[in-house]
Amino acid sequence: MVFAFYRGCRLKKRYIVIINILIVGLVLFIIAKYANDRATESNRSSIASFEKMTTTTEQIIANYLEDEQHLCDIWANYINRSAEAGEPMTVDEAISYIRKAKISPEISGHLIYTDDGSMAGISTTAASTDPSDYSVNYSHIDVLDHLEVSDGDGVVNLTRAYTNPQNGVQSIAFLNNVQVLDSDTGAMRQGLIIRVVPVSRLEQKLVFLKGEYESVEISLIDWNGDYMIHGKSLKNRNFFEYFKSYNPMSAQEYNRVVDTIRSSIGSMHIRNSKSEDSVIAYTPLSGLESWYLIAYIPAKELTESRSIDWLLLGIVTVGLIVLLHFNLLILRSYNRKLTAAAEAANQANEAKSHFLSTMSHDIRTPMNAIIGMNEMILRDSKEDETLMYAESIRTAGNTLLGIINDILDFSKIEAGKMELLDVDYNFASLLNDLVNMVQRKAEEKGLTLELDVDPAIPGILHGDELRIKQVITNILSNAVKYTKEGGVVFSVSSNRCEAEPDSVILHVSVRDTGIGILPEDLDKLFVAFERIEEKKNRNIEGTGLGMAIAQNFLSLMGSSIQVESKYGEGSVFSFDLKQKVVDWEPLGAFDAAFKRYLSERKQYTAQFTAPKARILVVDDTEMNLKVFVSLLSKTKMQIETADSGDAGIALFRRNLYDLVFLDHMMPDKDGIETLQEMKACKDTPNKSTPVICLTANAVSGMREMYIEAGFDDYLTKPIDTDRLEAMLLRYLPPDLVEQATEEKEEAKSKSDALQSILIVSEDVGFLKRLRERWSNRYNVVLAKSEEQALAYLQKQEAIDSERSEHE
Amino acid sequence: MSKTGKKWVAMAVVGMLAIGAVGCGGSTTASKDFSPKYASDTEYKLSVVGTYSNFESLESAIERFYEHYPNGEIVYTYLDDYRNTIGPALAGTEPPDIYVVQPWMYGDEHFAPLFDGAEVLSDPSLQMNLDCIRPGIRWEMENGDVLTLPVFATSYGMLVNRDIFEKENLQVPKNYEELLEVCEALKAAGYASPVMGANTNTTPGIGYAFAYPMFAQGVKDDRSIEADLNNLAPSAGEAMRESLTRLDAFVDAGCIDVKKCTAEIEDDYNGVIMRFFEGDVPMMLCSGDVVSGTKKRESKSEAFLEHPFRYDFYVAPSGDEGGYYMDSVSILFCGNKNSTNLDMTNEFLRFLTSEEELGLMAQEKRLITPTKDYSLDEVYASLAKFPEKRTINFRDTEILDTAVKEFRAAAYAVVNQEMTVDEAVASYGTLGK
Repeated sequence: MVFAFYRGCRLKKRYIVIINILIVGLVLFIIAKYANDRATESNRSSIASFEKMTTTTEQIIANYLEDEQHLCDIWANYINRSAEAGEPMTVDEAISYIRKAKISPEISGHLIYTDDGSMAGISTTAASTDPSDYSVNYSHIDVLDHLEVSDGDGVVNLTRAYTNPQNGVQSIAFLNNVQVLDSDTGAMRQGLIIRVVPVSRLEQKLVFLKGEYESVEISLIDWNGDYMIHGKSLKNRNFFEYFKSYNPMSAQEYNRVVDTIRSSIGSMHIRNSKSEDSVIAYTPLSGLESWYLIAYIPAKELTESRSIDWLLLGIVTVGLIVLLHFNLLILRSYNRKLTAAAEAANQANEAKSHFLSTMSHDIRTPMNAIIGMNEMILRDSKEDETLMYAESIRTAGNTLLGIINDILDFSKIEAGKMELLDVDYNFASLLNDLVNMVQRKAEEKGLTLELDVDPAIPGILHGDELRIKQVITNILSNAVKYTKEGGVVFSVSSNRCEAEPDSVILHVSVRDTGIGILPEDLDKLFVAFERIEEKKNRNIEGTGLGMAIAQNFLSLMGSSIQVESKYGEGSVFSFDLKQKVVDWEPLGAFDAAFKRYLSERKQYTAQFTAPKARILVVDDTEMNLKVFVSLLSKTKMQIETADSGDAGIALFRRNLYDLVFLDHMMPDKDGIETLQEMKACKDTPNKSTPVICLTANAVSGMREMYIEAGFDDYLTKPIDTDRLEAMLLRYLPPDLVEQATEEKEEAKSKSDALQSILIVSEDVGFLKRLRERWSNRYNVVLAKSEEQALAYLQKQEAIDSERSEHE
Repeated sequence: MSKTGKKWVAMAVVGMLAIGAVGCGGSTTASKDFSPKYASDTEYKLSVVGTYSNFESLESAIERFYEHYPNGEIVYTYLDDYRNTIGPALAGTEPPDIYVVQPWMYGDEHFAPLFDGAEVLSDPSLQMNLDCIRPGIRWEMENGDVLTLPVFATSYGMLVNRDIFEKENLQVPKNYEELLEVCEALKAAGYASPVMGANTNTTPGIGYAFAYPMFAQGVKDDRSIEADLNNLAPSAGEAMRESLTRLDAFVDAGCIDVKKCTAEIEDDYNGVIMRFFEGDVPMMLCSGDVVSGTKKRESKSEAFLEHPFRYDFYVAPSGDEGGYYMDSVSILFCGNKNSTNLDMTNEFLRFLTSEEELGLMAQEKRLITPTKDYSLDEVYASLAKFPEKRTINFRDTEILDTAVKEFRAAAYAVVNQEMTVDEAVASYGTLGK
């Protein structure tokens, strides 16, 4: 058992390892998740900051563009006001004015004619290739195509980035319409004043961003995706084309993205030309129609500031692994100790088992002789005094046997090996046995034993008869033991079980007028080896196991003992027990039946005779052989004995036997070895002869062990004559068994020789005393009522009539 | 758990951490052959200007350059009206460090500053590996200086749908006779116009792509006619006769349904590619520049996405012995010798001057590499080891743009039967107008 427990522990070790790994995994998962959540949060925060930076930048750029447009508008207004005032400026005058008005040398002004589609005019600065050339021509640059220039105040008229035809510098242009005088024709001409600003000048405004974001690239795009400022990573002349090239998607999705960029402020992840995750934040330029700011940044720069601390995660991982190993080491150390403890406990358990086995065997062996020989005295002696002594020996012997049985039962319960064996049983027979066992003790103490048996109890029930009997016997025995005067009432009733129609609930109750139990002692009642008021009751025999065993049996059967007690007045022990019903035929009036039984109780008679049956008994104890032979002498069987395994084998080889009884614990060659040799014999006439183990070893698990060893059955010592005879009847060939006619005739003749006397009284005690006094002289017949008496007489008359007819 | 089991668990956890840590690192794809001349932490800012509105292959090269010199920035800018703005740009306040030139610019006074201001790349101190450039493409000035780095080459020929040829169990024709046979077989198989192309008088047009290489071969073989051709002398028109006659015969043979081409191909670039991707054109006449647009448009053609096929570029087999390979330069880079950051300008050009880098750029742009190694792009594999005698290199002829325009107009007129070959030859000098 202990070893099994240890194995269980070893299994648990595996679970502990798995649980440890799971915990490590869980901790890592939680850390990773926490870090990931933090990272996501951080990322979200980074992107929000990035978006905020984008809107700030947009405001700076928008303000700058508005300022530039405003300066362009001032130029245009001055030129146009002159025209409105009737003093229109020629192109040369206008350019001259602008040349004076503009402050920055980087910025130039172009004035071109638009009314004739030539898109040609004059610049404030000379061409870079020719210092004398101030002409400018936009006819080959499509930057002004389809551009509607508004005169409204505050409206920014802006071009995409284009190549300044004067100096080849990438520039943006702010535009406004002007009216100028054609000096050649004197006509008013429609022109376009262009404030040309290098893109690099605008880019310088964005240098401040580098401090905050190393890789950020600001782009400004128009409605079509063409750039005013072009981020270097956006590998295409058009932003939307770039997006489409590296972010494959359906036309619908693409249109949705484009609409989103054109209509809202926000950010999104995109793939760059190297298929890397990137983030763009976008916002329309406020105050400008159809211009948008796109801030691009590799996603890794935003996520570089993530909160995942890989070093911490690694340290925690390593730490947990170290912890896991440490746990395993500790576990291994405990396992070693547990192994040692388990082995020690196992040895102790084996020692205990050995002790129990030895004790059982060693006590039962002499007990077998005592009880067996005493039985012979009871059978054969005619002397009252001797019979009285022998009866006392039987009582004491049975008590001692009961104590041993209790100890063995308890050891079985403790080992968890107590199992129920359900059989069909006659309830009347069970009651008979119970009352038989207790009646005598009660009478000896001058106590009354009243029976209150419900006649409606079904006759045949299904359950563990043996254990039920043990439980009730224990309760009844205790009641008798602890009652000095008064009596014991044994009640049994039954009710149909509603939940299970084929079952009844037996209600068993034992009421006594004994010493009662103190309320504080009730808890000790079912504790093994606890005896209530030990000092006071020290003259009362008992181990303190009886009630604990009874309670355990009932627990196995789904019930428990209830106790009601008043100290000094008596106790009631009761329990309800569900039993299946095999035969609903009511039990009937058990009291009468029992009394009849009592009146008919007579001395032992053999259940059968079998003069032709040959039995071999092998036992190393001569006394046991004598007991065995004596107990079966009335059966007239041919019993041969052998005092050792070898002697038994010799007989087994030579003679034919109908049954063999073989002791287990014998010197030299024990019963099992002997059996193996017997089974191995080929030259024996006993190949199919059943071999029954007759042993004083009655500890738990022995029956299984003997059956497994090859025995056909198992009978314990001290020998119970009834069980022995029952076993013989079971295994002997039926044709060898005869009715014990001689005994019957003997009994009958004895009975006939005596005069019969019928005693009628309601006082049962009185009836019993008369029967004891007159039983040797008369055939005493007792009747509790007139009805019983008349019934007996009618039956007897019928028998007599039949007999006379027969004669 | 056994001791071994525990070890495994511990190792697995630590291993996962290690893998996670390693997984955080980046990968490097820096050019193997390039060894930087300067410290890797050198700071710089360069600008490159050019004619491409998008120059992704250059930007990829720049990214690779960053792996050697991460602390810098190279920006590519498209210049509006490049012809007129590159000059002012070079003379302006923000001159580019590297700029694009094209062969036709040479000799034009307007573009003289581009060549005058160009760094001499053949200067031995620059350690540029100019030998990786095909000799026919390498542009040496009269004094032997190399001022330009060819970035892409181009040619004229045809895109071939290889799946159709495999399906019809045909070989790609190597000469004119085979071309006629193949066209016959394809027509029999149900292809109404085995050859198609843009019916325009531009360089990717039918006449130019098919016949101009043959014409150029003639000039290469007899350069005495070159001066008259460039001077648009009417008598020089005879130089076109052979190629125009072959073109006329090609159309007459029914190899190409010109009306079908006119109806189904909207323009000489996008229209050509998208029509070819329909999957039912065995051969599509075009220029290398058209081929460069195919890669991006594969995903834009529903027909191609649904039924993708393999295609390659071949020289049109217009001659009896075979086709003529015009090995032309598409664009070239010049380093601005007045750059404020000349060292890093030259370092970047030195980085580009390798078979690997130029090959990668050409592969990404899907133009022909200027190096000797054609292997990077399977589409142009047919050009490798092309016979030298039928190859017209960049410097083999000096036919001016005006003469080229005359030929394109003549070819267009013949293809559309607006003129006979005789009329076209006789009209030389007036056709371009």
